[in-house]
Amino acid sequence: MIHYHFDWSAVLSGAPLHWIVSGLWVTFNLTIWSGVLATLLALLLLGMRLSAYRGLRWISACYVTLFRNTPLAVQLLFWYFGGLQCLPGSWRDWLNTSHQLGGVHFPSTEVLVGVWALTLFSAAFLSEEMRAGVRAVSNGQFDAAHSQGFSHWQSLRWIVLPQALRYAWQPLIGQYLSLMKNSPLTMSIAVTELLYQTNQIESFNLHAIEAYAVATLLYLLLGLLLSLALQQLGKGMFVSGDLHVK
Amino acid sequence: MIEFKNVDKHFADLHVLQNINLKVAKGEVVVVCGPSGSGKSTLIRTINGLEPINGGEILVDGQAISKRARPAERQKIGFVFQQFNLYPHLSALQNITLAPRRLGGLSEDKANAEGLDLLAQVGLVEKSRHYPAQLSGGQQQRVAIARALAMKPRILLFDEPTSALDPEMIGEVLSVMKSLAHGGITMMVVTHEMGFAREVSDRVLFIDQGRILETATPQAFFKHPVHPRARQFLQQLQSPLHLAEESA
Repeated sequence: MIHYHFDWSAVLSGAPLHWIVSGLWVTFNLTIWSGVLATLLALLLLGMRLSAYRGLRWISACYVTLFRNTPLAVQLLFWYFGGLQCLPGSWRDWLNTSHQLGGVHFPSTEVLVGVWALTLFSAAFLSEEMRAGVRAVSNGQFDAAHSQGFSHWQSLRWIVLPQALRYAWQPLIGQYLSLMKNSPLTMSIAVTELLYQTNQIESFNLHAIEAYAVATLLYLLLGLLLSLALQQLGKGMFVSGDLHVK
Repeated sequence: MIEFKNVDKHFADLHVLQNINLKVAKGEVVVVCGPSGSGKSTLIRTINGLEPINGGEILVDGQAISKRARPAERQKIGFVFQQFNLYPHLSALQNITLAPRRLGGLSEDKANAEGLDLLAQVGLVEKSRHYPAQLSGGQQQRVAIARALAMKPRILLFDEPTSALDPEMIGEVLSVMKSLAHGGITMMVVTHEMGFAREVSDRVLFIDQGRILETATPQAFFKHPVHPRARQFLQQLQSPLHLAEESA
């Protein structure tokens, strides 16, 4: 420690700065894309879990059990080294060559697998939080909706889900933050996200303290922004006052 | 209008409705009373399929209600709950317009106009933008009645509509119900409000342990209840303390 020379410019200038920025951009994209896709998948899983068909309920429950009880790190490696092998050879070749889509670089195979794994993993948690929200809505709400002629799905869509999401909103924010904080695990399949790039700086100039401090601050900033944005989104979606009836 | 034919309903081992036979004519107001756990709420919940029946059949306008009433069948039967069950995430007006808009295909403007008319009918136009949590119990129940009317039902079912209310709010709800009854809609009302039964109903139905023990005009029922259980029930309603002391 005595011989350590702090030099922030070793991280915040030149190639290291470029790496940090590009890593942050990848982390940001991993979080947003996985977050949106996981939300859609979670809604599908929730719908299946609340369905009248036992088969669908069973599939959804098994999915959640499998993905919630196994480590994300294992899932990532499984999809990257195992899952990709199951694809037809021509698909793998296509994925492994670089492509342009409307002037934008098509994401690398690593990023795609990263988003895929984070989506499947996070959806299991999100759907369980949503289900807890649905259970918090009283049965009387279903009764009222059914008595007016809403079908099961219409009741969920117009009456129960808006309330359930509101009950579950704070825990859901926690899950989206977890998703962001899980994203560095994709480093294990060589996704060049923020932590991957930070490691690179460390091995490039040995300024570990500055590099990891900057990475920590950036993760913190990203988390704060994400949580703030979701709080605002919640306020926009749930305009009325207290949900609890007197 | 509403006809029960040998209707049976079980909750596991409990036989909640036993061979119910009943006809309610168009425009008739029937009050259902009986001790708690007698099956009176279950009876009216079966009419719009909130409780599926295990035997017999229920006809509404000559059409059998399927075991689990289809959504379209339910639209024409309004239901008012003891706990109001308003949608807490929607304003009073939105509570009323949701079904006409989403199920009836009404435009927002048309649905709002009709919704405000209904709110006027229950005396709450000025509360249209309020959320349920901002309304008193009596006001919530009046909004719930307006909501039950939104799909223009031919039948209104009430499940103890005043039981969850503070005494000073019961009157406002009963008065709305009374004006509806005079408007000619068919009503079945589960209630302990014997004043309402006496004044407004055409017929009183006494039910105990899943059986209809007595049906009579309110005059006859309150003056000369025939069945011993009905007599006991009425005495209990009139002087609960007296009876409790007697049995102690």
